[in-house]
Amino acid sequence: MAGQLVKEWTAIQQFPAATQEKLVDLLGKLKSQNVDTLTILVMGKGGVGKSSTVNSVIGERVVTVSAFQSETPRPVMVSRSRSGFTLNIIDTPGLVEGGYVSGQVLDTIKSFLGRLLLTKTIDVLLYVDRLDSYRVDDLDKQVVQAITDSFGKEIWHKAIAVLTHAQLSPPDTLSYVEFFSKRSESLLKCIRQGARISKRDAQNFAIPVALVENSGRCNKNEGDEKILPTGTPWIPNLVQTITGLALNGKGGIVIDQKLIEGPNANDRGKLFIPLILALQYLFVIKPIQKRIKDDVARETRPSWA
Amino acid sequence: MAAFAAPALLIPVTSSAASRRRRNSSANASFSRPRGNSSATAYFSRPHSPNSSSMQSPKPSKSPSFLLKYLISPESLGLSAASCILFLLAKPVFSGCCSIFNFGSGGGGGGVGGGGGSDGGQGGGFWSRIFSPAAIAKDDEPQQGWDSHGLPANIVVQLNKLSRFKKYKVSEIKFLDRRHGSTVGTEDSLSEISSLRPGGIYNKAQLHKELETLATCGMFDKVDLETKTNPDGTISITIPFLEYTWPSIDRFRCINVGLMPQSKPIEKDPDMTLKEMLEYERSLAKDYRRRIERSRPCLLPIAVQTEISKMLRQRLNVNARSLRRIGKMVQQWYYENGYAGAQVVNVYVSNTKEVVCEVVEGDITQLVIQFQDKLGNICKGKTHFGVIERELPMQLRPGQVLNIEAGQQAFRNIDSLTLFSNIELNPRSDEKNEGGIIVEVKLKEPEYKSAEVSTEWSIVPGRGGRPTLASIQPGGTVSFEHRNIKGLNRSLLGSVTTSNFLNPQDDLGFKLEYVHPYLDGVYNPRNRTFHASCFNSRKLSPVFTGGPGIEEVPPVWVDRAGVKANITEKFTRQSKFTYGLVMEEITMRDEGGRIAANAQRVLPSGGVSADGPPTTLSGTGVDRIAFLQANITRDNTKFLNGAIVGERNVFQLDQGLGIGSKFPFFNRHQLSVTRFLQLKQVEEGAGKPPPPVLVLHGQFGGCVGDLPSYDAFTLGGPYSVRGYNMGELGAARNILELAAELRIPLRNTHVYVFAEHGNDLGSSKDVKGNPTEVYRRMGHGSSYGVGAKLGLMRAEYAVDRNSGTGAVFFRFGERF
Repeated sequence: MAGQLVKEWTAIQQFPAATQEKLVDLLGKLKSQNVDTLTILVMGKGGVGKSSTVNSVIGERVVTVSAFQSETPRPVMVSRSRSGFTLNIIDTPGLVEGGYVSGQVLDTIKSFLGRLLLTKTIDVLLYVDRLDSYRVDDLDKQVVQAITDSFGKEIWHKAIAVLTHAQLSPPDTLSYVEFFSKRSESLLKCIRQGARISKRDAQNFAIPVALVENSGRCNKNEGDEKILPTGTPWIPNLVQTITGLALNGKGGIVIDQKLIEGPNANDRGKLFIPLILALQYLFVIKPIQKRIKDDVARETRPSWA
Repeated sequence: MAAFAAPALLIPVTSSAASRRRRNSSANASFSRPRGNSSATAYFSRPHSPNSSSMQSPKPSKSPSFLLKYLISPESLGLSAASCILFLLAKPVFSGCCSIFNFGSGGGGGGVGGGGGSDGGQGGGFWSRIFSPAAIAKDDEPQQGWDSHGLPANIVVQLNKLSRFKKYKVSEIKFLDRRHGSTVGTEDSLSEISSLRPGGIYNKAQLHKELETLATCGMFDKVDLETKTNPDGTISITIPFLEYTWPSIDRFRCINVGLMPQSKPIEKDPDMTLKEMLEYERSLAKDYRRRIERSRPCLLPIAVQTEISKMLRQRLNVNARSLRRIGKMVQQWYYENGYAGAQVVNVYVSNTKEVVCEVVEGDITQLVIQFQDKLGNICKGKTHFGVIERELPMQLRPGQVLNIEAGQQAFRNIDSLTLFSNIELNPRSDEKNEGGIIVEVKLKEPEYKSAEVSTEWSIVPGRGGRPTLASIQPGGTVSFEHRNIKGLNRSLLGSVTTSNFLNPQDDLGFKLEYVHPYLDGVYNPRNRTFHASCFNSRKLSPVFTGGPGIEEVPPVWVDRAGVKANITEKFTRQSKFTYGLVMEEITMRDEGGRIAANAQRVLPSGGVSADGPPTTLSGTGVDRIAFLQANITRDNTKFLNGAIVGERNVFQLDQGLGIGSKFPFFNRHQLSVTRFLQLKQVEEGAGKPPPPVLVLHGQFGGCVGDLPSYDAFTLGGPYSVRGYNMGELGAARNILELAAELRIPLRNTHVYVFAEHGNDLGSSKDVKGNPTEVYRRMGHGSSYGVGAKLGLMRAEYAVDRNSGTGAVFFRFGERF
C-alpha cells in the first residue's frame, strides 16, 4: 500500500481469547483459499456508527469518534496485517449532508479509493445503519441508489447490512428476534428497491445482515466477549459473515478509472459527432432553408407588387 | 363635341393645363425623415379619407378650372396626364384638392393640405368655392356686398334680362332633368360640373359664361339657366337640362394612354369644304384608331372591368353621368391600390359601341438619385449608387407604374440603411414625356467618421464620510466609428470602456467591430454580410445558482474575450443564416475576481467549500476554445393588427473543432420552434381588433462531447420557464422546454395565460460535477400563470409547480 503504513495487527491480542481464536481461525480459512488481502468498505448515513464499528473490529481506537457530530471529514483507511494476511478497512464520511445525499462525499470516497487502491478490489461492503431506527424513508433509498450508481449493482453481492446499536429493548409488543427480523427485512427491502435488485436476484444472493453493538456497556459473556442480546458474540459473527461473503465466489469490485470518475459524459458519443453534424445539416438546416425559400415564394405580395 | 369623326363624346376629367404647369413647377411631395439634427419633420403618408369615394383624385367637376379649360381647348386629348399627379402642393392654392403625398418641407402646410384632401366633397367644395373662376374673377373686387335683384319676388327672370351691373347672390341651385321632370340633388355629380355654388355672388357675365360652359361640356343635348327672384333679394337658379344618352352599351374597355405621343390637333377651319371636312374627319378617325392600338393594357383587373360591364348591361341607356360614374369608379380603384399617379383622362363611348376609359397610369420614366449638401445643394455623394438602388423596390424602377406603397417601402428601406441624415423621395412629372413621372431620391449624408471620448470620475466616500484621494477614479469611454467606408456601407466601430483608467485591467470592456455588407457585390441580389468582431463580456453564470432550498450560492462570473468572424445571409427581413468561427478565452471568476477552477458550494454547516463542480474543461478556471458557429432562423411572423402571427424556427449549432484547452470536441445544438396561431380570422386594417393568438413553443438543447459548465443549458428564468429564477431548475446537457400561451386581445394590449415546462431529461448528471445536484435543484419544473402586457413591460403572476407558490413578476420584453 503506497504511502500507507501497514501495521502489524497487534490489537487482535486485546480481544478475548475466544474471539481471538475464532478470528485467527477465519483468517486462516481465508489464507487457505489464497486470499491474503481483504478490503472492506464501510458506508452509510452519518452518525450510524461506521467509525465505531471499524474501531471495534480492529480492536483499537484507530478512527476518532465523537458522540454528536460527524468526525470523519474524509475517508480513512486502516490497514492491519497478521502473518501475511492484510486487512484493509476504509471508513468513510456519512453520505448524507443537510438532508440530501451528497454526491460530493461520494466523489471524495471514489477519488480516495482511486488514490490508494487503484486496480485493487473491494471485497466487502459494510452498509451500516442503526437497528433502532424504526422506519426507512426515501433518503435511505437515495443513499442506496447513490452507492449503486457509483459502484454498480454488483456491489450488493458483496454487501453486508450492518445494524448497529444492537443492544436495545424492542417495543413492548415485539420480541427482540421479531423486531430484528422486521427491521432487517425493511432495510433489505429498501436496499433492494434502491439498488433495483429484482426479486429473483435477491433470492439467489440474499444480503446477509449482521448486528453490531459498539458501546462499552455492551453485555459480555463468560469469555468476556461482547455479545448481542441473543447471546451471540458479535465480532466473530461479523468477521465470519465477512469471510463468508469474501469467499462467495463473486469477484470483488475492481477499482478502476471508470469507477472513480464515473462514466465520463463528455466522452460519450464523441465518435458520432461527425455523423451528428452531417445529419443536422441534412435534416435540420436544409429543411429550414427550404422552408425559408417557400416562405419567400409564398409571401403575400402587396397588391402593387 | 365631336372632336373625332367617331361620334365619341369626351368627358375630360382633368384639370387645366395652366394649373398643370404650375404643378409641374411646384410639385414637391416628399418622403422625408427626421434624423439627428435635421429639421425636416414631415412624413410620408396618405391621408385617411373618411369618404374615399369623393376623395379620388380626378374630382373632375370639383376642379373648377376644368370647364374653363374646356372652353379654351376642346381637344381634351391634349390634356397632359402629368396634371394628374395630384400630390399635395406646396401652396394649397394650386391644389386640386387631392393630396396624395403629404408635403414634406413644411409640416404645417402639409397638414392643412392633407386635411383639405381628406375632407372630400366638402373640402373640394370649399377649395373650389374659394378658387372658382368666379372667385378668382372677383379677386380684384371687394368680396363683401352683393346687390339685391330689385325685382318682385318669385318671378322667373331670363338670364339676359338680368342687370349687367348687379352682383347677384345665389341662394339655391337646382338641376332639373327635363326627361324625368325631376330635380337632381346636389350630391349628384352634375352639381360638380357647375362652378356655381349656393351662397356665391355672381354677375351676369359669369352666369353667362357658366351656361356656356355647361352647354359645351357635351353632357347635354339641351341646357338652360333660369333665375328666380327670392323675397330676400337673392336669386335661385334652376338649370333645366336634357341629357345626352346612348342606347344600351354593354362593353367596357380600359386603356393606358400614358406616355403616348400627342397627336397634334389640326385646326378646324370653319370654312372647310365638304371634302376637306370628310378628310379631316377621316384623319381624326385614323389618329384615334392608332391611339387605341398603341395604348397598353392597363392595370385595372379583369374583375373590376367585368363588374363595370355588368353594370352597363343592366342599364337601358348610358348618359354622361353614368360615364362620369364609371370614370370615378376606375379612378377610385387606382387610388385605393396606391397608384397615386394614375388619372382617368377620358371616358367616352366609342364608335364601336364601347365605353372606353382612358387612363394615364403614371409610368415612371426615370429614377434620379441625388445627394445634397447641408445647404440643400446638389453635390457628389460618397455613397455608391448601387447601395441605394438595391433598396428600391422593383416597382419604383423606370417602366413601372408609380405606386405610393412602393414609395413608402423604398423610403423605409433606405431609412433602414441608417446612412443618411435626410431622405426625400419626390415623384415629379416628366416634362419631356407626357404622363411620365420621374422619381427623385434626394439624400443628405452625415459625417461618417467620428470619435468620442466621454469621461467620468468616481469618488467614493471613505472613512468619516470624506472622500479620499485614493478613491478618485477616472473612468469613461473612448469610441470611434467610421461608417460607410468606400461608400459601400462598410463600417468599423470600436470602443473601450473602463471605470478606472489608472487600473483598467479590472473592468476593461472593449469592442471592435467590422461590418462588410454586399459580400457578393452591390448588384448581386444575394444579401450576405461579413462581420468580424473582437469583444469581451462579463456575465453571471446561471449554472451556479441555488435551488429553492438554498438561499445564497457564491456567484461565478463568466468572462469571455475573443474574436468572432461570421457571414450572415439574409433571405427575408427576418429569416437569415449565419455561419462563422469563434475563438474565445473563457475565464471563470469568483466574487472577488479571482480565477475559480471550481465553483464554491455551501456546506450544511453554513461554511463555504471551494470544491464545487469544476467550472471549466481544463480544470484551471481558464479555457481557450475555437469552434464553428451556425445559426439559421426562419421567421415568417408578421403583425396582424398588432398581434404577432406566424412561425419562427431557430436552429443554432456550435461545433467544436478540437482546438483549445483539452482539445474540446463537441456538438452543441439548440432547436426552437415557436408558432403563433391565429385563432380567429379577422379583417386586416388599422384600428381593427387583433385576433386571439395561441402561442406554442418547444425548445430542445443538447450537447454531445465536451461540455464545460459555462456551455451547459440552464432551465428556469423569464425566457425559459417563467416563475423561476434564472437557472433555478438546473443546468443540464440536454434540455427540453415546452410552453403554451393564449393571448386574448384587450383594448390596445393583450392579456395571456400560460403554462410551461422545462426538463433536463435526466442529463444533469452528465454535466461535470453535476451542478444541478450540488445546488439542490430539481432538474425539471412546470409553471403556469396569467399576465398582461403593459407597453414594453409585462406583468405576470406565475405559479411555480415545484413549490406550489406564486409570485408576481415584472419583465421587459416578450417571452417568445
